[in-house]
Amino acid sequence: MSEPAVVLQNQPAKPFYFNTSAHILRVTAQRANTLAELQDALRDCPEDSIFQHTFRTLQEHHFIREGFSNDFAHWVLSACNEPSLAERLASVDVREFTSVAELRERFIQIVETYVAQNAAASQRKARSTFYFCASDIVVMPTSFVAHSLRDFAEGLRKVSLHSIHHHFIEARLRLKLMSNDFSQWLHEDAGLTETARAVNRIDIYTATLEGVRAQMVRIVERALL
Amino acid sequence: MSSGKNGKTATQDTLGREGVVADTEMGPTVVPHPSTPAPPAERRRAPRTWDTPPAPVPPPHLDDYKAIVGPADVDELRFLARELKGKTMKMVNSTAVGGGVAEMLNRLVPLLNELEVTTHWDVITGGNDFFEVTKAFHNALHGSAYELTRHAQEIFLMYNEQNRQRLQFGEDVVVIHDPQPAALVTARSGTPARWIWRCHIDLSNPHPQVWGFLRPYVEQYNAAIFSSQSFTRQLPIPQYLFYPCIDPLSEKNKELDESFIQKVCEESGVDRSRPIVTQVSRFDRLKDPVGVVQAFKLAKKYVDCQLVLAGGGASDDPEGAVVLQEVKDAAGDDPDIIVLDLPPWCALEINALQRASTIIVQKSIKEGFGLTVTEGLWKGKPTIAGAVGGIPNQIIHKLTGVLVHSVEGCAYQIRYLLTHPEFASQLGKNGHEHVKENFLMTTNVRRWLLLLRILLQQNG
Repeated sequence: MSEPAVVLQNQPAKPFYFNTSAHILRVTAQRANTLAELQDALRDCPEDSIFQHTFRTLQEHHFIREGFSNDFAHWVLSACNEPSLAERLASVDVREFTSVAELRERFIQIVETYVAQNAAASQRKARSTFYFCASDIVVMPTSFVAHSLRDFAEGLRKVSLHSIHHHFIEARLRLKLMSNDFSQWLHEDAGLTETARAVNRIDIYTATLEGVRAQMVRIVERALL
Repeated sequence: MSSGKNGKTATQDTLGREGVVADTEMGPTVVPHPSTPAPPAERRRAPRTWDTPPAPVPPPHLDDYKAIVGPADVDELRFLARELKGKTMKMVNSTAVGGGVAEMLNRLVPLLNELEVTTHWDVITGGNDFFEVTKAFHNALHGSAYELTRHAQEIFLMYNEQNRQRLQFGEDVVVIHDPQPAALVTARSGTPARWIWRCHIDLSNPHPQVWGFLRPYVEQYNAAIFSSQSFTRQLPIPQYLFYPCIDPLSEKNKELDESFIQKVCEESGVDRSRPIVTQVSRFDRLKDPVGVVQAFKLAKKYVDCQLVLAGGGASDDPEGAVVLQEVKDAAGDDPDIIVLDLPPWCALEINALQRASTIIVQKSIKEGFGLTVTEGLWKGKPTIAGAVGGIPNQIIHKLTGVLVHSVEGCAYQIRYLLTHPEFASQLGKNGHEHVKENFLMTTNVRRWLLLLRILLQQNG
């Protein structure tokens, strides 16, 4: 469905300021050597750690198209050799959560259910330790500001992948919405609701972040036609 | 027989001519170029030496990295540094040349200064007795047996005190690298400066007495930085994770002309028309070069390939010479095993050999971080490595490379990657991106800027 042409003639109500974020990793006190310890640490660790091992790790591994979802799933598969649990953990889509607390509960629930059904597995020592980390983050501006849809497409092409991650993935927690900064702006300020929806539908788990960027640019360019 | 860098015994191989690899159901069939003669077997196995180190290359500027990481990433460094303008930092370590820390500081310090974070670099001084003690501490912190005497403690503290009196600490941030100068932190008392202990060594299994002696000093810092999660300790201060990094513009990692790669291969007796499996590392048992030879021999039963073992340490380390002999004995008279004993200044040649390789191997039994793995990944090479030390941080099994735990596993992965070039190519691409995102000098600069901002913010 195409957008009403009249909207495209107008300037967006507000410019879009491309920001970016940078982070460093802090190693926390929580560690896990068994599934039972993972379960405990998931309950006790700071929210920053849940964020790091789900949202942040997607940025650190943004170049992988398939087979990587979050650090918990990866450790359960590679260090604990529990593919069934790993598959369930990997299926958790961070975009369905607008708070870290909800996300934490989901992981705890999955591990608890598995451990209840596989008591022996819960105490088996993993091949390597899972170290719970957390991020210290600094958000900063970039030199890109979009006053028009054309500027917006140009910004999408040129900003760093950190900026794409910041606006497209991390934004959910900030907005507390099942959306992202780009879609919010396209919908609210540029009046392009369908374009906003199309951007929000891009699958981050089957594309690299560079691929996500390319899809977004294509969608926005279509709206420019 | 050895051949000189100046081409005294240069081969007559045709420049720039490669064989063709045809992918078939049975795996790639290697068709050598008809005019590429195979180098004689006796030259292939001859360890070669180079004469003199080349002149040092000036360090690159920040803008030089734009072509590698993109202008936006470099701009982000400038944004991060903006609030730090006028702040000062001092790095202190125990050596100005040689070793990974000095190599890293040689690149990091000019870049931070270019970003107007004025960074000084001081090196501590000490007598032989001091460095004997610190070498023993180093080994003990890696888990070796050691008897910590009162005399050793006194020597350690005496030289730290001498350096504390000699050096000025007026900077906003002071970074002490490794255990040798760790006790300098006593100079922090009564100053607003933030002190950071940057530990480059593996503390996962430290000697309890030596760690017990150093720990009270480490606890006086504002923060500590480690190279791997598994090296961290339970400490009352924040512990950050800074992965070691490589410089994509260094001699070891920069792009090379095809003609130079060809020349190095010819001089080394490497036949580029056939698959090349390479391990670059010192002749050290912990790098398991004999295990690599064994794995290669197992793999070669099924796939045609050559093995290049390029390393050093045999000329200045008696144990290195023994290990080199063990490698030669294990290689026997196999003309496809090429052993190169290189001095430390052969970075360009190592770079060329890595770039010419089909597969990179690092079958270590124990490892710090494994920067040779980083180098291989950066060059887009499918990499097989032992699952030890910091290697699993770099190799996500079957996504950015493959991890192995045995000679047999290594042999199987060599066979598999040589017969599945598409999968191997994808690993290489992912590995390159992984390094670009996480293990480059620019990422390291970013981490330092962030840490400075965070620590100085805490200071108000």
